[in-house]
Amino acid sequence: MRANQLRPVPVLLDNLIWFLLLLALIIFSALTNRFFTVNNVTNILVHSAVLGIMVIGQSFTLITGNFDLSAESNLGLIAVLGAFLMTASGEPSNGSGLLLNPLLALLVMFGTGLLIGAINGLLITRLKMNNFIVTLSMLIIIRGLAFLVTHGKTVTGIPASFKALGHAYAGPVPISVIVLLAAFALAFFVMRYTRFGRDLYAVGGNSDAASVSGIDSQRRIRQAYLISGAMAAFAAWIELGRLGVGATRIGENMIFEIQAAAVIGGISLFGGRGTMLGALGGVLLLSSINSGLNLLQVSGFAIDMVRGIVILGAMLIDAQKVRYTMPPRIPAGAASTTKK
Amino acid sequence: MVEMKNVTKEFPGVRALSGVSFSLRAEGELHGLVGKNGAGKSTLMNVLTGVFPPDSGEINIHGKSYPRLTTTISRQLGIACVHQHSQLVPSLSIAENVFCGSLPTTRIGLVDWNTIYRETGERLKNLGLDIDVRRKVEGLSVAERQIIEITKALFAKARIIILDEATAPLPKSEVEMLFGFVRRQRERGAAFVYISHYLEEIFELCETVTVMKDGRNIGDHAVASLSQPELVRLISGVEVERFRHSDRIAFGDALLEVRDLDRPGVYSQLSLTIAPGEIVGLTGLEGCGKDSFARGLFGLEPLGIGVTLLGGRPYRARSPREALNQGVAYLPRDRHGLGIIGLRSVRENITLPILSRLMGLLGLVVRKRENALVAQLIEKLNVVTPSMLQAVQFLSGGNQQKVVFAKLASVDPKVLLLDEPTQGVDVQAKVEILKIIDQLSREKKVAVVVISEEIRELLDICDRIVVMFKGRIVREFLTDDSRTTGEAILHAVEGTGVA
Repeated sequence: MRANQLRPVPVLLDNLIWFLLLLALIIFSALTNRFFTVNNVTNILVHSAVLGIMVIGQSFTLITGNFDLSAESNLGLIAVLGAFLMTASGEPSNGSGLLLNPLLALLVMFGTGLLIGAINGLLITRLKMNNFIVTLSMLIIIRGLAFLVTHGKTVTGIPASFKALGHAYAGPVPISVIVLLAAFALAFFVMRYTRFGRDLYAVGGNSDAASVSGIDSQRRIRQAYLISGAMAAFAAWIELGRLGVGATRIGENMIFEIQAAAVIGGISLFGGRGTMLGALGGVLLLSSINSGLNLLQVSGFAIDMVRGIVILGAMLIDAQKVRYTMPPRIPAGAASTTKK
Repeated sequence: MVEMKNVTKEFPGVRALSGVSFSLRAEGELHGLVGKNGAGKSTLMNVLTGVFPPDSGEINIHGKSYPRLTTTISRQLGIACVHQHSQLVPSLSIAENVFCGSLPTTRIGLVDWNTIYRETGERLKNLGLDIDVRRKVEGLSVAERQIIEITKALFAKARIIILDEATAPLPKSEVEMLFGFVRRQRERGAAFVYISHYLEEIFELCETVTVMKDGRNIGDHAVASLSQPELVRLISGVEVERFRHSDRIAFGDALLEVRDLDRPGVYSQLSLTIAPGEIVGLTGLEGCGKDSFARGLFGLEPLGIGVTLLGGRPYRARSPREALNQGVAYLPRDRHGLGIIGLRSVRENITLPILSRLMGLLGLVVRKRENALVAQLIEKLNVVTPSMLQAVQFLSGGNQQKVVFAKLASVDPKVLLLDEPTQGVDVQAKVEILKIIDQLSREKKVAVVVISEEIRELLDICDRIVVMFKGRIVREFLTDDSRTTGEAILHAVEGTGVA
């Protein structure tokens, strides 16, 4: 009997993101005719690129039931380090003077991202440290390192070939947007159709049961952190192209937006649930809201407030989802699924 | 004391209770509540404890009607529920748990530890449990925890205590300890509602039994007027056949061979051989080493020192992965903790260990192949699910267990280690699961080890039953032998048999 029903509420919750996105598009289009234009939609997508790549990395850790708070600092350090290595020393460039080949710089950038991911993963799985403390400490440490690279100075004069990914167009379409969509498509397939992706869901759903099924849960978690690190490097590459300069504050306070986008898109903070497609929806929704509020000339403080509300709403939805998907046979004392 | 009339409760899409009446008449009543998984037992008790408000119906407690019962009111009325899964805080002391939520304070508002320790100690002693109340709950056995929970309920002046599958996680010896405790409490006037799948326990403990089926109360009976087969018939609504293992086959050479296996403090000098297609039961008291042996073979615990051969070649597994790669699969006793991933679909659960075999180009899982395999296993094991995409947590206990079996079968194992394979499933599902075990061993020539304390079940399914006592194998019984009786096995299990 109760085993055999499909539950309407979770189905709605699982696809909620697309309804919300549609709603946001309709509201903003009604409020200003500058919102739904080719220019602005392109703009929204371009702004989605860096956030989206970061959300992919974060989602891998979230699905295993973990998270990576250090991702935003990681993005900042890698961006400023990459810019520093490729540019001339002294004013106005403020670079290292190494004038490193962009390919070599990319190698260093991805190496740095992977190294940070490896450290996070090892501390959490091998030394059994709490993931919140580990990644929060790393968030602070890495941001400090980013300042050390240039002592807070902004780096200019990045080679054009390097910047192409972040600001060039292929016909009418920005390359970064193509890259964003391709990356999500790839992540979607990895999560859904590869053994690696399926293992990650299993680990996040019940890591002990996954282990008994022959999965090395701890290793899968380490790999998720490696991906998070690599994605930060990838995002740094795009961000340097988009901004044209390397600044130590790149990515600051971005982590909450990253997690909010993932969670609004249906990736659960509790692990084991959500798809990359949904996460992309979350990214587009947040970018649309940002753009819409900007066009409406809402003040910066109010925008921050709206973001806060959106994040709170996302967490609310996530918590409700867990409640609704629990079987009704829950013990007394736990929250009941039916309201009074 | 309690009178529930015509209680109806619907969840979206399901009618969990339809017009159920249930009553507890006297102080000190021991009232059994039985039915298949999903029959509505737990929902009914959740209505009584105020967790779910009923859609319609009347609830009278101590002669007064409560149209809006909440958990708070029901607690104040002296109704308490002890669940299969402990609700105690493991990191706190026994005394603190007992007083949790109502810690007494001194005049200046500090926690009055002296009173807490003294009172808990005194009362526990009165209840017949002599234990250091400063000990943390995490060090206690499961039965002790259940007793502490009941004690806590009694402290809160509970007069009506619901035990929901309270013995499911308990080894046999501790069940007795719990029953003794329950009987002493009923003499003091507490009434118990006892929910269990173990019908022997209903006959041992209860006077009255209510049978539920498909959300209805289909009858209250005096236990003395019923026989066990009659009760089984009432619960399932049909005649449940008693399972008998299929005919013996000629077993070939040993597939799994263990010689002089020693693990200090756990077991010693274990020697055992199992042939392909053979089903061997392994039984003994809790702590006799039987489950550690299985977990050791599967790489979850150290196996110890000795010779272990699989198909004539040395066998060793340091992790479940290594065990699975060599064809050894394990069904854990703790289904929710280790068996299933409730959030994920039936399909994903089943193919979890074998995804690498379903991969095509570029390492992508080939859906067509996966679906075909899953559909075949669902049909073969008769898993009742609306679709293979259903999250496993929404299936009944018996069907969840079949999903775990499907997962194991998908591996095509040579050796199957099953730890309490029928735990927490209803009588009908039990028979089906035994059939599955029989089928796997006979058709696929799998060597099966069934670890269980259900001796009757072992007699039905096994070719041979091996009894362990204090870490040693003390006796072996052939189930076809006419001298093999449940009683003889029980003696060996208790260590009182002639060796």
